[in-house]
Amino acid sequence: MTTAHVDSSADNGSIHIYVSGEIDLANAAAVEDEIRTAITHHPSAVSVDLAGLTYMDSAGIRVLYALASRLHALRIVLELIVPLDAPTRRLIELSGFESIAAIRPVRS
Amino acid sequence: MGYDSLVSSSGEPSNASTAADERLRRIESVADAALAQLDVEALLAELLDRVRELLAVDTATVLLLDASAQELVVTVALGIEATVRQGLRIPLGKGFAGRVAAEEQPVIIEQVDQSNVMYTVFAEHGVCSLLGVPLLANGTVIGVLHVGTLIPHRFSNDDVRLLQIAAERIVLATQSRRAEVERAAAVVFQRSLLPARLPTVPGLELAAHYVPAGHGEVSGDWYDVFTLPSGWLCIVIGDVVGRGLVAADVMGRLRNALRAYALLGGDPAEVLSRLDQQIQHFEPETMATVLLAMFEPSFERLHLSSAGHPPPLLALPDHPTVLVEVPGDQPIGVPGGLRRRATTIKLPPGGLICFYTDGLVDRRGVSLDVGLEQLRESVLAGPVAALCRKLMARLIGAEGPGDDVAVLAVRRQDSGEVGPLDLVLPALPWSLRDIRLAVRRWLSAVGAGPRAVADLLVAIGEACSNAIEHAYGAGGGNVAIHLELQQPDVLATIRDTGRWRSPNRDDGGRGTLFMRDFSDELHIDHGPGGTNVVIRRHLSRAASG
Repeated sequence: MTTAHVDSSADNGSIHIYVSGEIDLANAAAVEDEIRTAITHHPSAVSVDLAGLTYMDSAGIRVLYALASRLHALRIVLELIVPLDAPTRRLIELSGFESIAAIRPVRS
Repeated sequence: MGYDSLVSSSGEPSNASTAADERLRRIESVADAALAQLDVEALLAELLDRVRELLAVDTATVLLLDASAQELVVTVALGIEATVRQGLRIPLGKGFAGRVAAEEQPVIIEQVDQSNVMYTVFAEHGVCSLLGVPLLANGTVIGVLHVGTLIPHRFSNDDVRLLQIAAERIVLATQSRRAEVERAAAVVFQRSLLPARLPTVPGLELAAHYVPAGHGEVSGDWYDVFTLPSGWLCIVIGDVVGRGLVAADVMGRLRNALRAYALLGGDPAEVLSRLDQQIQHFEPETMATVLLAMFEPSFERLHLSSAGHPPPLLALPDHPTVLVEVPGDQPIGVPGGLRRRATTIKLPPGGLICFYTDGLVDRRGVSLDVGLEQLRESVLAGPVAALCRKLMARLIGAEGPGDDVAVLAVRRQDSGEVGPLDLVLPALPWSLRDIRLAVRRWLSAVGAGPRAVADLLVAIGEACSNAIEHAYGAGGGNVAIHLELQQPDVLATIRDTGRWRSPNRDDGGRGTLFMRDFSDELHIDHGPGGTNVVIRRHLSRAASG
């Protein structure tokens, strides 16, 4: 069974989410739930750190896209933290997040 | 207690025993062809019948000591058979038989009553008088032989002497028979604990050889090969101190405990520490040497920790073979040791690592240094099955080993030798992780670059996800993956036998987009027989898709 871990922390109205492990069809729905649960109040910004993610495919992109669209509609800033050498970097670049999220190698 | 008396067992042989010589011979003749086929209990029953006739008594009973429980177990009873069926157990020192065993002397009771026996057993059967002698093997009590009469009887010194002789015969007969049965059981048991077949691991060649000691008695040598859900491959080789069924039994528990602890994760030093804690707490009598090697999923490196086990040998093409420098931490089961250590070594393609137990190098008439040097010279990077055979022929020879020998060799294949990979898994989401593990391993074995590995994992993952989500209805089906090398490319074929339904998701086939982006060439054929996806990707260059 594919496993991923979702951790989160909050400061000054921002929520930071850390996803590690792998995301595919088997656990995408569970990861989506966990991310949703981590966003407890109405933050001004959300960051999702993917540095610890060793594998992701379109099932994971779907989760991030749903999150990004929702936050975009709520005018909450979303930042995706993806180091340049991260295994998921190219997948994120190819998925056209630029219009709805900021992609950075480290947290700003 | 005036009516029972202890009788010295060192009295002069009397005329009566001379007169009984002829009858005694019947007990001695336990090697009769007719008896040879009997198991221990049937043999005891036959012997007891002869004792009963010899001493003209009504009951005859053998109780054997269960050393772990410190109890005597009624094993065969003539005249009071029910005690066997009831599984009667007598604590050492309690009751009549318990007293015989505890005192290690003959005991006579002329009139049974509540003060001198576990009353109910004998009272129920109307036993009046009793004579019991210990069964002694090499001076250690292994049980009790007692006889009883239904009418009051005064047992003479000659009766005692006769029963002692009978006891000696019984010990001889049962010990050798028991040893035979136990040896046979231990061999079967130990074999059942060694892997019947080593797992097939793409990218690795594995071979193992086990030979029991020349005298046929097993000791606790074992080896084990298993994979973890994380894709790591574990190799264990160990040697339990002790012999026979007991050692084989301990070895079985060690094997299972080690597997369970490996599943919890951690490096080999941590796994061995957990095993050590468990053994020291629950089985303080046990001692064993164990070497645990954990291969990373790519097989490029392995992590080793040794609990007092001889170090493995590393053979690389065009290099002299060397003993791997693994810190020799204390064996499992030895209290008060220091923190265990783990070592990491590289295993390049074509490299071979050879594990063994000390029986291979610690041989009669050969010093350990010479044995090790012979082994080092014999181990070369090459086919593993042939290596195991060669080691046996060169180091063990025709006469067989004096101790058990286990050898296990692992060779990492060169990228050119790796055959195609074929997987067939249920078209279910949980299969995806297993597919990635196998694909990752195969790609590493053929020498694919990190970028190509990442790309192919996504492209193949998307093709499989499509099959899982869209190929089959509720009935389910399989997805088949075939990977082969067509230098300098990898060709991956993903096949299902379902009827394709086009994706109706809102992401509009992002998966297909990724497949195209992460491969150099992509062909998708939907036919009535299913869907065939072919992905071509260069082994190292960035994708052109």
